[in-house]
Amino acid sequence: MYKKSRMLMDTFVTITVVSGSADEADEAIEKAFSAIERFGALINFFSDKSEVAEINRKAGMSEVRVSPATIDIVERAVYVAAKSGGAFDPTIGPVTKLWDFTKKKKPSGVRIRNNLRLVNYQNIIINRDKQTVFLKEKDMLLDLGGIAKGYAADLAVINLQQNGIKSGLVAVAGDIRGFGSRPDGGEWKIGVKNPRQRNGSDEIIARISLSNKAVSTSGDYERYFFINGRRFHHLLDPKTGYPAECCRSVSMIADEGVFADGFSTAVFILGPKKGLELVQALGMDAIIIDNNGKIHATPGLEGRFEIEENH
Amino acid sequence: MRRRVLKEDLRLKKIIKNITLADWTLFLVLLVVSVAGIFITKEALPRGTDVTIEINGEPAYTFPLNVDRTIPVSGPYGDTLIEIKSGRARIREAHCPNRVCVKQGWVSKGVIICLPNKILVFVGSGGGDKSGKEIDAVTG
Repeated sequence: MYKKSRMLMDTFVTITVVSGSADEADEAIEKAFSAIERFGALINFFSDKSEVAEINRKAGMSEVRVSPATIDIVERAVYVAAKSGGAFDPTIGPVTKLWDFTKKKKPSGVRIRNNLRLVNYQNIIINRDKQTVFLKEKDMLLDLGGIAKGYAADLAVINLQQNGIKSGLVAVAGDIRGFGSRPDGGEWKIGVKNPRQRNGSDEIIARISLSNKAVSTSGDYERYFFINGRRFHHLLDPKTGYPAECCRSVSMIADEGVFADGFSTAVFILGPKKGLELVQALGMDAIIIDNNGKIHATPGLEGRFEIEENH
Repeated sequence: MRRRVLKEDLRLKKIIKNITLADWTLFLVLLVVSVAGIFITKEALPRGTDVTIEINGEPAYTFPLNVDRTIPVSGPYGDTLIEIKSGRARIREAHCPNRVCVKQGWVSKGVIICLPNKILVFVGSGGGDKSGKEIDAVTG
C-alpha cells in the first residue's frame, strides 16, 4: 500500500493505492495529483484566471465557453440544487462573501436580504451544444466550492483506474472516495470526525467501512465564530442567508464523490427530518449528528457503521 | 586448574539435579510474562514512533517522537516552530492568519496542517498497528 499527500486546491489531498510496484504506484499517484491540479485551476473561485471567474465576470452580459469538466460539474451542481429544492445552491456566493469567518464579521440583515435576491440556481443557463455557461443576472456569483472537492476525488479515481490501479482511496480533505479493497481484502475504513472535539486532536465519533463508494462531511465546526455564545458557521441557508442550525455534521455516502459532497451540504441545511427524507428518496446513505448531538444513521449503513466507544 | 573446572562442573550438575518442577514452572511463567509484555505494551500504546515534516509537499525532516526538540521551519509567513515533547508534537508558534495549526494543540498520532505555510506534520507516520482497526482516512 502506497500513500502520498499534496497540497492542492487549497487543501490537503492524500492518495492511497494498492500496488505491487512502488514505481507504478508513484507514477499513478502523481498523474492523479496533476488531474486534480488542472481541474482545480478551472474552477477556483478566488483566481482571476479560472473559468469560474470568467463566468462570474460575464454575469448578466454574455455566455462563456468552458471546458468539458467545467460544464460537467456545473450540471451536477444544478442537479443537486434542484433535487434539494435549493437547500444547496452554487450561486450563494453574493451572500457568502458578506460573511467573514476569520474576522468574525456578521453582516447586517439588510445587506443579506439585498444579496439574497441574486441567489437562484435556476438562473444558471447551461448550453451543452455550445459548451457554454451563463449567469442571467449581473452580480450573480457561481461558487462550486461546495461540490468541487468531491468531484476532484471522482476525477482522481477515474485517473488512477485508467493507469491500471485496481484498489485505492482518494481523500481531498474530508471528501473521500474508495475503490477496490484494502491489501488485507477488507473494505476501506473511514473515521467520522467528532463535531465537538474533546481532546484537541482528530477525535473520531464513528467509523464506516466502504468500497466503491464516496463519503463527504459538512460540519458547523470548520469555519465559525461565536457572538454571545451563538455559533455562526459557514453553512449558510440559501433561503435566509444565515447559518443553518439543525445539525452539527452530516456525512453523506454516495456512489460518486460529487454527490456525496453536494448532498451533505443540502442535508445539513435541510436538517435531520427533511434531510433524511431526501437521503432516502435519493437511495443514498447518511450519518446525521443533530444539534443535540444525537446520531442518526440510515438503515443502509447497518453492519458497515460503528459508533466509537464512549459516545 | 583441571580440578577446579571439574568441581564447578559437579556443582552445576548438582544444581540442575535439585531443580524441581516448581522451579521449571516459575521459569516458564516468567518467560511467558516477559514475552507477552512486549506485545501487551505494543498493543496498549498504539503510538507513532516518529514525526515527519513536509514542506511544500516534499518530505523535509523525520525525527523520533521520544526525543524532545523544537524545530524552526521557514515559510511564506515567517518561521513556524514545531515542538516535540514527551511523545507528542505540536505547532508552538506560527504567523499565518488563522493559526488553526497552533490551536490544534498536542497530537500523539495524526496530522497537523498549516495550509498558509504549506507545512504538514505527520505524527506517528512510522507506527501503525496491524490489527485491522486502523483507519484509512477521516471525513469531516
